[in-house]
Amino acid sequence: MIHRSWLKMGVVMTGVFGLALGMVDVSGAAPASHAANGKPIIIGAVIDETSTMKPFDQPALEAAEIWAKKVNSKGGVLGRPIEFKVYNTESQATLAKSGAEKAIAAGAQILWVTCDATFAAPAVEVGLSHHLLTISPCTSTNLMGPEKFGPAGKLAFTFGNEPSTTGAVIARLLIQKGWKTATVVTDHLLTYFVDVCGNFTADFEKLGGKIVSQLSYTTGDHTVSQVASKAASSGAAATVLCTTTTATLPTFVTSVRTLGNTKPIVGPWAIDGGFWEPSTPKISTNLWVATYASVFGDDPNPTVRSLFHQMKAEGETPLTGGFVLGPSALEGIITAIEREKGSLTGEKLATAVVHFRDVATLSGPVTFSDEYHAVVSRRERIVEITHDKGRYVESLSPGKYGLVLHT
Amino acid sequence: MTFVGYLVDAVSLGALYALIAVSVGLVFGVLRQINLAQGEVMAFGAYSLWIMRALPSWLAILLCFGICVAGSLVLQVLVFRPLRGASALTTLIVTFGVSYGLEALWLVVFGPEGKPVSMLIKLNDTVVGGAIALRWITIVDIGTAAVLLIGLYVLLFRSSLGLRMRAVAEDFSIARIVGVRIDRVVTVAFVLCGASAAVVAVLETVQTPLVTTTLGLSLIVVALVGVVLGGLDHLARATAGGFIVGFVNSLLGSILPEQQLVFVTSLTFLFVVVVLVVRPAGLLAPRGAGAERV
Repeated sequence: MIHRSWLKMGVVMTGVFGLALGMVDVSGAAPASHAANGKPIIIGAVIDETSTMKPFDQPALEAAEIWAKKVNSKGGVLGRPIEFKVYNTESQATLAKSGAEKAIAAGAQILWVTCDATFAAPAVEVGLSHHLLTISPCTSTNLMGPEKFGPAGKLAFTFGNEPSTTGAVIARLLIQKGWKTATVVTDHLLTYFVDVCGNFTADFEKLGGKIVSQLSYTTGDHTVSQVASKAASSGAAATVLCTTTTATLPTFVTSVRTLGNTKPIVGPWAIDGGFWEPSTPKISTNLWVATYASVFGDDPNPTVRSLFHQMKAEGETPLTGGFVLGPSALEGIITAIEREKGSLTGEKLATAVVHFRDVATLSGPVTFSDEYHAVVSRRERIVEITHDKGRYVESLSPGKYGLVLHT
Repeated sequence: MTFVGYLVDAVSLGALYALIAVSVGLVFGVLRQINLAQGEVMAFGAYSLWIMRALPSWLAILLCFGICVAGSLVLQVLVFRPLRGASALTTLIVTFGVSYGLEALWLVVFGPEGKPVSMLIKLNDTVVGGAIALRWITIVDIGTAAVLLIGLYVLLFRSSLGLRMRAVAEDFSIARIVGVRIDRVVTVAFVLCGASAAVVAVLETVQTPLVTTTLGLSLIVVALVGVVLGGLDHLARATAGGFIVGFVNSLLGSILPEQQLVFVTSLTFLFVVVVLVVRPAGLLAPRGAGAERV
């Protein structure tokens, strides 16, 4: 009988432990005692949920929200949970401004804005006028800061790369692959494209490469086919294309390929993701992208892979590798708050951020300076599309020609 | 690529704009109304090709024609019929609004990232390689436009239906008095516009295999400028105007030096402004013709 009782108790205890373990496993959360129960830290996210910038803004925010849940389940930031309040700008200036005002009226202590300095400007100005730390997760120019917003811009930062980083990474990729000559095609739609291709040109020549021809068009001017014809017949070992995923991108790639040019076409994060490619293996092949993370499920960082799969499972598959910049920006914000011992004052947080030197984030170490409010010297993921299928190839740093901040 | 290659490309883009311009000119001829929403019928057609991407190409294109014609007729019933008798300016503004509304609808339904269409993508292959670099799609563009425009000419000038359409275009009221069934003529005009939109949707998606929400408006605005340039009140001139704008735009893109390429659109529109200052009635209108412009 005694033996039976012990057996029963063992079964019951096993069940209790199993249930407890199961609960921890399912939620992924720490015990309730660790949960953040202080006053929430409110981040006002003024982003595009419907229009032009949605493919960039939304995945970054969704990834950040997943990250915030994880942080909150582990006790939050100094005991305070992070809460996002989201306002849709539809990439319209008036909605960006009113969204920022609503966010601040709703108690936002930090502003989170869209991934382009021009689209974000109305919201950024509201944030700066209220002396809030104003963060863009993935603007990839140095315009989120004093360069565009003057002295008040010292409170604004982006966790996207400074274009010199991307230009240098692409230059190194070409040299490393033995593609010693290049045709450069610049879309004049955004300064970012001009800057990336400009930096690529300078660094590629410093590394011993030769620019065969410099071509350009502006999205919407209906000349991309002619430019593609010139690029296809330029004789260069590779074509570097600085544009984004508008209709001109597949037009260019299709034109170049169907004219018989099968050489590599290389571009920055702005052409990342396979969603724009014609599903024709002959056309969508030998395409190379320098980006923040692989969206083909094979990123080398297991945390990034896990986050990607979680987003995919939730029906929010990110279109580009920029999604990792959401958690990175949040990690930066958290680090700043912790370094300032819980203060949410914009000036204090900005001072902490500007002193970041190789602060570890999901997208790699992050460094800022008074001059550069965008990330410099970050290693980028190189992704190759072959026969309409993407794969991670390697991580590449900008090397000696990318900006290196002296600490 | 040689100058001959550039010229052929320019003719091809001009032909595409001529097809859009002829639709605008047709509706204006019959109803004295400007149809800016025509661009969104094209966009609808292009999106329908993405929706039907799993179907055989011939079937998807056939259905695309049906969808565009249906869309055009719905616009006729819901927008143009209530506006009959309104000024051209009123319809211009209303159809501009409809166009923006539909663009917003595409944004909500299809999203901002664009939808890839690979149908008939082989038409981008080259017929003649090397310096001329002539593609099949260029030949198809020019051939299709030529066949359709000749067909329209035959319809208008060699058939009783065309006679009735021209009568309506000449004087709406008198045509009605002499027994022309106005509604039938208007319906035929919108069926032709829908078919033209389908042709443009197919040709455009072959060359630009990513359908985005701005497809319609970006094409129709340029075509409308061409229509005004040629002469809005004359179908052949309006069509020729569309062709000229496309031709000039493409040729400038090919021959301008690299540093000046950012000015392609500006120079195209400067050309239009200069033409209208010198010849206010349109480039192809007879001297002394009225200068009324929308």
